[in-house]
Amino acid sequence: MKNPHARLLAICITLTLFRLSAAASDSEYQAGVKALAANNYVSALQHLELAVSGDPDNPRYASEYRQAIIRCKEFDRSLQFFQKEVSQHPKSANLHLNFGFAYVDKIPVGGSITQVILANNALNEFTQAVELEPSWIAYYTRGVSYLFWPKIFNRAQLGVSDLLKALEIQNKGPRRSYYAKTYIALGDGYWKTDQMEKARAIWQDGLKQFPDNEQLKSRLALQGEQLKAAIEDQFDPGKRVNTDLRDLWSN
Amino acid sequence: MLVKSHKRALFAFLLLFALGARPAGGSAPQQDDQKWFEDVTHKAGIHHRHHTRRFNNPYAEIMQGYTKLGAAVAVADYDGDGFEDIFVTDSCSTCKNHLYHNNGDFTFTDVAEQAGVANGNDEENASSGALWFDFNNDGLPDLFVARFGHSILYQNMGNGKFRDVTKAAGLDRYMNAIKAIAFDYDNDGYVDLFIGSYFQPINIFHPGTPRFFPESFENANNGGGVTVFHNNKDGTFTEVTSRIGIYTTGWTLDLGHGDANNDGFEDLYVANDFGTDRFYVNNGNGTFTDKTETAIGFDTKKGMNADWGDFDNDGLLDIYVTNITDDYMREGNFLWHNNGNLTFTDVSRETGTYDTGWGWAGKFFDYDNDGWLDLYVVNGWVSAGKESYVPDIFAMVTRPNVDFADARNWPPIGNKSLSGYEKKRLFHNEDGHIFKDEAARHGLDSSRDGRGIAVADFDNDGRLDLFVTNADDEPFLYRNILPTGAHWMGFLLEGTKSNRSAVGAQVRLTANGKTYLRYVNGGNGFASQSTMRVHFGLGKTTKITSIEVRWPSGLKQTFPALAVDHWYKLIEGQSKSNVQPWEPKR
Repeated sequence: MKNPHARLLAICITLTLFRLSAAASDSEYQAGVKALAANNYVSALQHLELAVSGDPDNPRYASEYRQAIIRCKEFDRSLQFFQKEVSQHPKSANLHLNFGFAYVDKIPVGGSITQVILANNALNEFTQAVELEPSWIAYYTRGVSYLFWPKIFNRAQLGVSDLLKALEIQNKGPRRSYYAKTYIALGDGYWKTDQMEKARAIWQDGLKQFPDNEQLKSRLALQGEQLKAAIEDQFDPGKRVNTDLRDLWSN
Repeated sequence: MLVKSHKRALFAFLLLFALGARPAGGSAPQQDDQKWFEDVTHKAGIHHRHHTRRFNNPYAEIMQGYTKLGAAVAVADYDGDGFEDIFVTDSCSTCKNHLYHNNGDFTFTDVAEQAGVANGNDEENASSGALWFDFNNDGLPDLFVARFGHSILYQNMGNGKFRDVTKAAGLDRYMNAIKAIAFDYDNDGYVDLFIGSYFQPINIFHPGTPRFFPESFENANNGGGVTVFHNNKDGTFTEVTSRIGIYTTGWTLDLGHGDANNDGFEDLYVANDFGTDRFYVNNGNGTFTDKTETAIGFDTKKGMNADWGDFDNDGLLDIYVTNITDDYMREGNFLWHNNGNLTFTDVSRETGTYDTGWGWAGKFFDYDNDGWLDLYVVNGWVSAGKESYVPDIFAMVTRPNVDFADARNWPPIGNKSLSGYEKKRLFHNEDGHIFKDEAARHGLDSSRDGRGIAVADFDNDGRLDLFVTNADDEPFLYRNILPTGAHWMGFLLEGTKSNRSAVGAQVRLTANGKTYLRYVNGGNGFASQSTMRVHFGLGKTTKITSIEVRWPSGLKQTFPALAVDHWYKLIEGQSKSNVQPWEPKR
């Protein structure tokens, strides 16, 4: 397209279509939220799916959709939906990230081996997200995901590595309250890799940045078996992990 | 799952505020550093080791990782001399089973060859379990040897000899049996035979197909399941499984019976590996109803054990089930608290009995005679080299579209370990609300690959001893040397209208305003059968108020106060006023 006028026209058309699509998605999202408030899950899921399809890079739509899925326990529907979406939008880091979270969301209702399969699938999607867009959320998510794996797999070190990258990213930008999580998780990663001094140091660094954070205070107050119990409890595969991403747009 | 958080919370609340119902306030004198068990295995002459079967087929290397089974034990006084004897299985093709005759002085003599019960293994059969049960009501315990292949029923001839009556009894069929229990499900006066099988009934020595492994890790229904044989009262049995409403094709590892709702009819718990345990309620008319969903919910765990006992002394039998709990698989055990309405709540986390590693047998018994049922749990799957088998198995399960039923897809274990070298647990029951692990203190924390536990009083001193089988290793005989001070009382029950060995009879002992329930069980617990005698720890109680026996026939007899620290023989319908302490013949 050598003609500059034609290029401009094409950009304008694209932007207009994007705005129209975004507006339509927002409208579907609002309708989904309304249906959800009325506990009309059938309608809510339909609207939210249309919202995600229309704006696959919007983290809010995808996250809210998954939270709705958790409420109505339609985990397989969510997995099928994201499978379809990533095949249609293979370059969307947001979709891969949320596809990974959709696997994580199902873990508490799976048997012990299903949990492994789901966790492994989630990890694959998180890796796709990191490769497509090496963002704080992508590194943080994959880093924490590694920490759930049994020691025998030696994945905690990979988790530490990802969390250090997340820390590097967050240190370059404005302070966000949810960045405290990186310090907590990185300390847990050090603890899991038998680097206790580093664990305490990073929790202390975190507490300097976020002096009111109760989890950081608790980590530093505990020792020995109590600390072990707290960290093991954090990574208990039977417990639901909070995968709600609302911090990203509300903080 | 039925396990609801509010039920769990209610249970925890009740436990927190429950007043301990300890008999007259206490157990044996508190000597916290003292060891109450002594390993007398070698001294007793009972140390023959177990040998896992090695297969000679295209899948042998793979099967090796999943067939480290067969170390089983069953206890009974087969010769009626008053001392409990021990039958122990081995599994290699040339290995002999053992019948250890109790010499009465805590030594034993292997008389299996003379008795005719040694030959339980050959190229086509591998011993995997054992059960003493009096199928013909002649007062002599007969012996059933469960096998991968054709199981054997030996009739006790009463002269120290046994005779193979399998075919005549109608029990000759190919099954990969691993567990048998016997109880009188229809209360017709004869015990019936319940057999649990692991693999489906294919010849695992020469399988014609590679598709004989579990089709799923969590919902496998291609196992051997449960087969029930009704006792025809004439020395023969008839298979009635589906007719009486039992239907499971899971990978059954254990069966446990007990009367969950105290209606006089025995109910059944089926522990299945690779999937859902089953709970069958006895309808009282010779049939059962599968109440799994409402009673315990559908689980996806690896059930290994099902023992029943009233751990909180509330008059209702509870159930202990072991599963796999390790770094890589955190299933947790079930301690099913009986809610009294044919539903159960898992209180294993609250009671501290959740994590016993890769659990196998777990048995309720009161080792310190304090009136509370304690728990001993053995564990460990394969203790071999330093390298772990976990990554291999996880590599398989995360492979897309893998066909688990095809043995060829499973990685060989080689010399790797899987949940190996695990410490056994002796859970001391702290007044019915929490259990404290005392295994190390009492020297019961071996790290061998434990399988079965038989609880019995081998020297009739009122202190319960333990026999533990270990796969590919020597067993343990632990003598209970609890210091004197804690009182006890025990009963040998004999049915007349009921089945003669009184399986299913419940005994309620009342003392100090509290009532304690124990019962005669017909072989519950993985790879093991404990004594059929009924034992009560009484702590400091020296006087009891009454003893009530509810016989399987429905007859209830209340016996007056008897002196503590004795065994008594109670015969159904006998005069209540003439009960004397029982002594062994020798």
